[in-house]
Amino acid sequence: MIKFWNKRLKLGLLTENLYLDEDLKKIKKEIKSQIKKKFAGSLAIRMVDSGSCNACEAECNALSNPYYNLERLGIYFVASPRHADVMLISGLMTFNMTPHVKEAYEQIPAPKWVISMGDCPVMEGVFDKTYAINAPVKNYLPVAHHIKGCPPSPRKIMEGLLEFLRKIE
Amino acid sequence: MRFIARYAKEFDDFFEIITCYDNEIKKQQIAKENATIKTLSKKYPAAIWFERKIFDDFGIIIEDSFDKRPLLHHERFPKNIHPLQKKFQDKCLQEDIYRAYKYESIQGDGVFEVAVGPIHAGIIEPGHFQFSQAGEDMLHLEVRHFYKNRGIEKMVEGKTLFEARSIIERISGNESIAYQICWRDIVLQASNTQLPVSLQKRHAFFLELERVIHHLSDLGFIPNDAGFGAALAYCSKLAEDARRKMQEFSGHRFGFGAINFENSFIDTVFTKEWLHNLREDIEKFQEWIIDVPSLWDRLDTTGVLPLKKAIKYSCVGVVARASGVAVDRRINPFYFENGFELVTEVSGDVGARFKVRLSEIKNSITMMKNFLEEDETKCTLDPIKDGEYSSFVESSIGELFMSVDIQEGQITRFFVRDPSFMNWQALHIMMQKDIIADFPLINKSCDLSYAGNDL
Repeated sequence: MIKFWNKRLKLGLLTENLYLDEDLKKIKKEIKSQIKKKFAGSLAIRMVDSGSCNACEAECNALSNPYYNLERLGIYFVASPRHADVMLISGLMTFNMTPHVKEAYEQIPAPKWVISMGDCPVMEGVFDKTYAINAPVKNYLPVAHHIKGCPPSPRKIMEGLLEFLRKIE
Repeated sequence: MRFIARYAKEFDDFFEIITCYDNEIKKQQIAKENATIKTLSKKYPAAIWFERKIFDDFGIIIEDSFDKRPLLHHERFPKNIHPLQKKFQDKCLQEDIYRAYKYESIQGDGVFEVAVGPIHAGIIEPGHFQFSQAGEDMLHLEVRHFYKNRGIEKMVEGKTLFEARSIIERISGNESIAYQICWRDIVLQASNTQLPVSLQKRHAFFLELERVIHHLSDLGFIPNDAGFGAALAYCSKLAEDARRKMQEFSGHRFGFGAINFENSFIDTVFTKEWLHNLREDIEKFQEWIIDVPSLWDRLDTTGVLPLKKAIKYSCVGVVARASGVAVDRRINPFYFENGFELVTEVSGDVGARFKVRLSEIKNSITMMKNFLEEDETKCTLDPIKDGEYSSFVESSIGELFMSVDIQEGQITRFFVRDPSFMNWQALHIMMQKDIIADFPLINKSCDLSYAGNDL
């Protein structure tokens, strides 16, 4: 155990993207409306996979590793849609997932937003339309913001979330 | 004989049922009118999902099956539609009336059911678990998947092998390299090309790198699910380092597009140094983690899959090896020459699966050092010939099987069996002596793919 703490001290702080802290500070200053005040810098996200390849989920998991450390920005993933402000949706909105995604969205208390991530929910990826695919997601949910990429890198996701904070009305 | 897969193909006048074992492939032709086959599930329990899938996909009835419930077609799926039949060409389905699915459940005084999913509490893929509980004790678990079914098999029909490539590499993001190598082997067979050893080594290098990334994130998540979060912080840092290496070498964090027929330059000196440091970090991790008794109290004797059951359920990959089954597609001269050592454990519990991953990472690093060459070989392919091709690869989860039929240059049938498809069917065995709070830990210790399973 002592070896572990020695290593921990030697390594120090690994967090990168410290410029995002500055960004967030700026955003907080810019914010005037009540809703924005409520949510900026404290965003609860319910991540829903509607039929992805799991790469988007892996990148969202990577957001909590020591390099990205997303929670320091006050943005965190929650276990229930009832605790969430935002649904972050990845995947192709498969036929089998569609009713469950809609139900999860209904469970989020208002005001609520949908952010889509990856090329799948907008049907810009490599997958063709089949009988089992209902994407684009916008036909089912009001998508407020989209984060591009296949999959978007953790840094792109963080930037995308801050961009969304700037945008919300 | 180890059962590997069972699937159907449609021809103009008949269906063909292919049953694949480790040492032989059986083919059976059946008439299209009132198509029926007999079940194999009494001898090989893992055949049941394949057979339920055959019915959903093609409408072929499994005569004497004990389980005729739909598998891929969920509550609102339209009746009498079998999407893999050639005559079905719709690109859109209308939701039908809701028909409830009858879960396997245990009856008795005080026995109740717990439904979990399809959307889970963490950042994970969707799937459903139905528990029959007596208090905290799990009496039975039914795994119900295919929420992510994207119709991949139908999607690639009519495409050439090269057009289908970017879809195949995105079937399961965690196993992308393995899927690409399966695809590569089929391209090589179809074009009758011999792959130069240097390219073979580069591809094997990527496959081991993918395994290292996948195992590292599991080594973090398994202790995390037992309440030991520091391990996740430690291992997710190493996993991120490895993923960045993947980006550096292949141009993509998940290695999408990494497997091609020309080598690009890799700086062996820096890479070997990184591998050396990674090995040291893992050894430090091992020294530290092995010495945490409260953690091993959770991992040992939890979620046991006995050797007999692992064989009966035709398990593959880390799950099988942790129970003592010597099954690994890397058992061949090419891998042995480059330092491959088969890793197995005997206890078949969460701890055993954890230790198998730990040892496999160290072995992968040894192999990666041997695979590493500064090399820029190119390989030109001959034209693709029509035929039936199949290939196997050991992905980070286990044995991956892919089979492709090509006619006039186009894919007429694409079938792939993810290792998860086998192991999901044995998951309920591991639950029988544990309480429901252990379920996330047991599930994570197997770390099976939902996307590759559902297709």
